[in-house]
Amino acid sequence: MSTTSSGNDAPASPSSRLERFADSRLWASRPVTIVLTGFALVALYFVFTVPLAFSEQLTFATCCFICALLFRRLPGRYATIVMIMLSVVASGRYMYWRLTSTTYWEHPLDAAWGLLLVAAELYSTVVLMLGYFQTAWPLKRKPMPLPASRDAWPTVDVFIPTYNEPLSVVKPTIYAALALDYPTDKLSIHVLDDGRRPEFKAFCEEVGVHWTIRTHNRHAKAGNINEALKITNGEYLAIFDCDHIPTRSFLQIGLGWFLRDKLLSMLQTPHHFFSADPFERNLGTFRKVPNEGELFYGLVQDGNDLWNATFFCGSCALLRRSMVEEIGGIAVETVTEDAHTALKLHRLGYTTAYLAIAQAAGLATESLSGHIGQRIRWARGMTQIFRIDNPLTGKGLKIGQRLCYLNAMMHFFYGIPRLVFLTAPLSYLFFGAHVIEAAASTIAIYALPHMMHASITNSRMQRLFRHSFWAEVYESVLASYITAPTLLALINPKLGKFNVTAKGGQIEKNYFDWAISRPYLFLLLLNLVGFVAGLVHIYLNLHVRSEVQTTVLNLAWTGYNMLILGASVAAASERRQIRAVHRVAMKMPVMLKFSTGRTLACETIDYSEGGVGVALPNGIQVPMHERVTVSLFRGDEEYTFPATVGFTAPGRVGLRFSEMTREQEYEFVKSTFARADAWMGWAEGRKQDTPLRGLSHVLLVGVRGIAGLFEHLYEDLRGWMGNRPSDVEKLETKKD
Amino acid sequence: MKVIAVVSAKGGVGKTTLAANLASVLATRGRRVIAVDLDPQNALRLHFGVGLDSIDGLSRATLSGDAWQTVMMDGVDGVTVLPYGALIEDDRRRFEAHLEHDPLWVAQMLASLRLDANDIVIIDTPPGSSTYTRSALSAAHFALNVVLADAASYAAIPQMERMIEAYAAPRPDFGGEGYVVNQVDQSRQLSKDVLKVLRQLLGVKLFPGVIHADEAMSESLACDTTLIHYDPLSQAAADLRACGDWLLAAIDQTGMASGNVPRNVA
Repeated sequence: MSTTSSGNDAPASPSSRLERFADSRLWASRPVTIVLTGFALVALYFVFTVPLAFSEQLTFATCCFICALLFRRLPGRYATIVMIMLSVVASGRYMYWRLTSTTYWEHPLDAAWGLLLVAAELYSTVVLMLGYFQTAWPLKRKPMPLPASRDAWPTVDVFIPTYNEPLSVVKPTIYAALALDYPTDKLSIHVLDDGRRPEFKAFCEEVGVHWTIRTHNRHAKAGNINEALKITNGEYLAIFDCDHIPTRSFLQIGLGWFLRDKLLSMLQTPHHFFSADPFERNLGTFRKVPNEGELFYGLVQDGNDLWNATFFCGSCALLRRSMVEEIGGIAVETVTEDAHTALKLHRLGYTTAYLAIAQAAGLATESLSGHIGQRIRWARGMTQIFRIDNPLTGKGLKIGQRLCYLNAMMHFFYGIPRLVFLTAPLSYLFFGAHVIEAAASTIAIYALPHMMHASITNSRMQRLFRHSFWAEVYESVLASYITAPTLLALINPKLGKFNVTAKGGQIEKNYFDWAISRPYLFLLLLNLVGFVAGLVHIYLNLHVRSEVQTTVLNLAWTGYNMLILGASVAAASERRQIRAVHRVAMKMPVMLKFSTGRTLACETIDYSEGGVGVALPNGIQVPMHERVTVSLFRGDEEYTFPATVGFTAPGRVGLRFSEMTREQEYEFVKSTFARADAWMGWAEGRKQDTPLRGLSHVLLVGVRGIAGLFEHLYEDLRGWMGNRPSDVEKLETKKD
Repeated sequence: MKVIAVVSAKGGVGKTTLAANLASVLATRGRRVIAVDLDPQNALRLHFGVGLDSIDGLSRATLSGDAWQTVMMDGVDGVTVLPYGALIEDDRRRFEAHLEHDPLWVAQMLASLRLDANDIVIIDTPPGSSTYTRSALSAAHFALNVVLADAASYAAIPQMERMIEAYAAPRPDFGGEGYVVNQVDQSRQLSKDVLKVLRQLLGVKLFPGVIHADEAMSESLACDTTLIHYDPLSQAAADLRACGDWLLAAIDQTGMASGNVPRNVA
């Protein structure tokens, strides 16, 4: 099926002997696979369980790690798989030792802390293993071209569901839908307006798209789409969130696979964001460090594709109408209707596909609280699916699919384990609890290989999509918030409410979100007190060597936790957004025509909905407020926009568009957001990830976060003392 | 030697300026370029820094029986200029009668220059049907038709096509014709619409870009130079460079056609 047909994307470079050996036909026969798998499992059991003395374990671990470092220098996926195997060995030995040799606790308090910690570690290891399984071999599917004759192309309905977003946010998406390169008689565009707003109706009629409404708002977005399904009849549907602007090539690039694979029910493309999310903005990492979503869209979904387990993500996707209707429309039972819809399609034996080419882009959530709200919904929804339609049981799924779904759901349970890791050393520093019954050095020779192998292996697999140690930051920020909702949903799936994420807003002022960062501040304070307690403990027990050793180990852990929490605090320090509209960096030809009739051929630096930034050759400077006609090009087409100079410097000019007509707005979207290559090369110029570089960056961010915290504390306290009314008002509105 | 006749059915389309600037572009691409002025206005030389008071030219040389080599002048950008020359009315009529009598005269004179196979001759002509245009087309390997994005230009296209059909197309060494739209201002809806129609009508014969209207174009003439020289950063200069490259590709293809390859390749 689809997976096998596109799986043979062997690298063009001549394959090494290792690769030829691994690719040979021998392994394709079933009996050979079964025998080898059995043999491997038995071998693995012995490797995990064989008891080794201290020096022997140290030698073994060192050899394994050197091996991994050597394989790390080889290119190719087989070398990655060898590294995964070595990591599995290190983690397996650690967990076996941890479960069998360190779990005899003397006091009930030790046992309570110890059990929590060992459970958290077990969870992390299982998720690590599932992650390896899920992403070991990303499919890297290529687009399948549509037939040459346009007559053979299928009919498509484009759905743009909206509820309460302002028209200005939805407009570019509608224009871009109109600009899709597709025969107009085969394309029908529907704005599904659950707000039933007259200005939407007027706009849709003016530009010539369908304004499609219903009489009620049941089941939110999923219900909205399902109602629209009843009154439309295209063979395929393309769904875009109202602020996801598609490129002109979206349909042509995505539809080909449906004609090739008759069982294909859904094709997903990445959700790309051209504005900085709160992490990127507040930590200053926009386009430098992969954001939270990039791991999922860059690697996880591509890995899922191999197992025919790509999830539907609600937007920027194509679906085959007949199959969606067969499962009764988009799923409405949970708040993550998208993932559940994919699960239902998979259960019927249909395939899904992932194309890792950004063919649409939108605005990221503008504030940390909004971002957290969205993640809470995902966590809740995935837990609901886990409860009401558990992918481990039930009909129709292959083992690979079950494991991919399991990992997707288990992932969202990271809240409690993360909180446990952030507080575990405190149990010792405060209460003297010995949560791990072993000497510090023994812990080191088992735990360090486990962590170091996981680090270098993940760094190799994820380096383009997640820099090392950034997961700790992202998870720590969210942990305190998604723990309760996931637990609630686990107990009763009905607990959970759909919340729409606000977009297109602007943070007008620098401020510190005290409300949202309460949990991190509390944890930070605990860790700080623990750290001091630890120092005092060392001072009092200088003569007891084992006490000092254990305390130092716990102090190091606490220090690390404090810096991670510092980074979380930094993420909650909202930085002012300078512009209401977001600029997208993009180099493309542009012509300027001045009032003198002279012209200048230049390249753009960036564009936004209100204008363009242009690089001028030879350090030319243009006077402020000068009137200019800007020409943008798309293929043969040229579009002109009247503008005035709003910013000027030698070699650079910022041009603000004057009032635009509908036609000009449409032309602007066509020549910018809707370009087929608009989002290519987004990650260009990023620094290569290595575990140590990632660690030092994260720790630096943590230090800055803590320093910044004191700055904010000082400023806000001064504000409170002075009792400036504006600040009081601001703090109060923050509470809701 | 490749001969390019720059022609147009209508006046005022910026033909002379285009011819001069294309000559300049082709010269910067490392080719030897001879710009030949077959227009009694005698304006081509002004783009290349030849003074207003200079009266020498190919018409006077022809009438006095001198070789064309004697009136070749070195212009800016390394282009060699062959001006038309200044004539009194009677002499002009005599020269035109001479051309009328012997339409292949220009072709013969160009051949007598003994140019290299890679050298390029660009002939500027007066607008519409005239004995000059006929002579130029009779010598040309490639005809470049300059049009504006307006209705009058569009309507005049068939007229020039008939001339090319009559004087150039029958010769086996004629490579074909190309079109370029000059002085385009796309902020005007009419220009946009006509451009669309022209693209449909002319297809691959049309230079894929356009030459944008640019005040610097007339300013450059006032300064006795080409736009390429006067304002190399302007959009029109960028357009001219692109057009020059397109033209180069087109005539180098005709080179193969004039050899053993069948000419319909071009």
